[in-house]
Amino acid sequence: MRVLYIDTSSDYLYSGIVVDDKLVSSIKKKYEKDLSKEALPKIIELFDEANITPKDLDKIIVVNGPGSFTGIRIGITIAKTIAWALNINITPISGLTAMAISSNTNTYKMPLIDARRGYVYGAIYDKDNNKVIEDSHIELKELLDKSKDLDIEVITNNDLEINIKKESYDPDILKIVKHFETSDGINPHLVNPIYLKKTEAEEKAGL
Amino acid sequence: MKDVYILGIESSCDETSCSIVKNGTVELATSTSSQIDIHENFGGVVPEIASREHVKNITLVIEDCLKKANMKIEDVTAIAITYGPGLIGSLLVGMQAAKTLSYIYNKPLVPVHHIAGHIYANSLVEELKFPLIALVVSGGHTELIKMTDHFNFEKLGGTLDDAIGECYDKVARVMGLPYPGGPKLDKLSKEGKPTYKLPIPLNDDSYDFSFSGLKSAVINLNHNEEQKGKEINKADLAASFQKVAVTSIVSKTKKALKDYNINNLIVAGGVAANSILREALTDMCNENNIHLSIPPLKYCTDNAAMIASAGYYAYKLGRRADYHLNSLSTTALN
Repeated sequence: MRVLYIDTSSDYLYSGIVVDDKLVSSIKKKYEKDLSKEALPKIIELFDEANITPKDLDKIIVVNGPGSFTGIRIGITIAKTIAWALNINITPISGLTAMAISSNTNTYKMPLIDARRGYVYGAIYDKDNNKVIEDSHIELKELLDKSKDLDIEVITNNDLEINIKKESYDPDILKIVKHFETSDGINPHLVNPIYLKKTEAEEKAGL
Repeated sequence: MKDVYILGIESSCDETSCSIVKNGTVELATSTSSQIDIHENFGGVVPEIASREHVKNITLVIEDCLKKANMKIEDVTAIAITYGPGLIGSLLVGMQAAKTLSYIYNKPLVPVHHIAGHIYANSLVEELKFPLIALVVSGGHTELIKMTDHFNFEKLGGTLDDAIGECYDKVARVMGLPYPGGPKLDKLSKEGKPTYKLPIPLNDDSYDFSFSGLKSAVINLNHNEEQKGKEINKADLAASFQKVAVTSIVSKTKKALKDYNINNLIVAGGVAANSILREALTDMCNENNIHLSIPPLKYCTDNAAMIASAGYYAYKLGRRADYHLNSLSTTALN
């Protein structure tokens, strides 16, 4: 099984190639504004390093949100185009799920991404990475209220004011890929970002 | 000579488009997903919504275009992509797709400026004859450009404020015409007469344009008549506005042709679809023995066929980009 993993939902490019249960090449690097310029060249380097070509891939796993709207679209467009060209499927996954899977804590897990103005993209997972509270765009206060009776650890790379145990997010790409190993995935045309948030124009228009 | 097939991708605003053009002049197939209906709800293009639509449609239009052309990407010579100017979030989607196709199929990647695309839309009708003056009129541009050879652009002048298409849409909005108002204003003006007096913009020796004064004059006139309790004749106002706007464009274009002693005029951009402008340019060119080329309506608005056509000439000139190519929201014609 040869799998390409892509996550561009933050300022970082997190990507890797897994061949037969081994992570053979990977990158975790901050790009910010250069992501659209650098993402594809870096993914090409991963193929070279892994000594395989895209044609050898069986599947692509891509993070479809939440996070930076533009960032998500960069990773998804690359994934969709490769998968369409090679006639393979994509397994789109939540970046919050990827955060939960990467954590080794034995408590409940609360992955958080800052969505500004007191809001976060967040969810709650149990220690086995089952969803307890679905991915949502929610006021941080409200999410903390909902989870106040749980023994919980927050996973985030953002500077959020929280008084509970926190760990930073360092994706365990191999673990994420293995978690979705049995997923058949879907046709690349059907893969789209899950923004969890309407555009301002739609909100104002009440659409 | 071996035939050259260029696959073009355009996503700079609200159309996701893919096209295959042979030898720069023959359109084999185009597939375009337009978002006009979606943005109509907001009275204009909402950039974030446009980006969201592009990512939904990008692989679909590529597949549809290849099906229509009965071709595989393996049969294509190179991939041409609009790198700018335009809405950055929209441009990025087409860019990632084009770069990825270029990599997977090992095809050269050819960067194309959006305005070069509009100009080369004329190649889909007849080959460009140099030297020429290109009049670019769209929602974002009003420019006079001199060309002495392929991809040799000299900007003679441009708008100092609003682009002509922007001015049309804003005036149409004041008159209560729904987005996109330009074409509706054009249609309405045919039912009216140019009875309202409006100032002729920037009637000087330059090749520049200015439309914000004209726009304000229409807004003020509309407002004043309302205050007096008089019903404005919308058709007459549309006709009056069109007459002044078109006269300004035609007179500056004529001046450029005369000053540089050039006999070829090509028109490009969405406003080239305007019927009154087409008529006035046709008359001016007939009177002055100028060869005029205006692309058919389908090539005036944003489309990938024009990008593939420009991409052919850029390809022939050896223009290539590597996988670090980035989208640019603003960039000079090149």
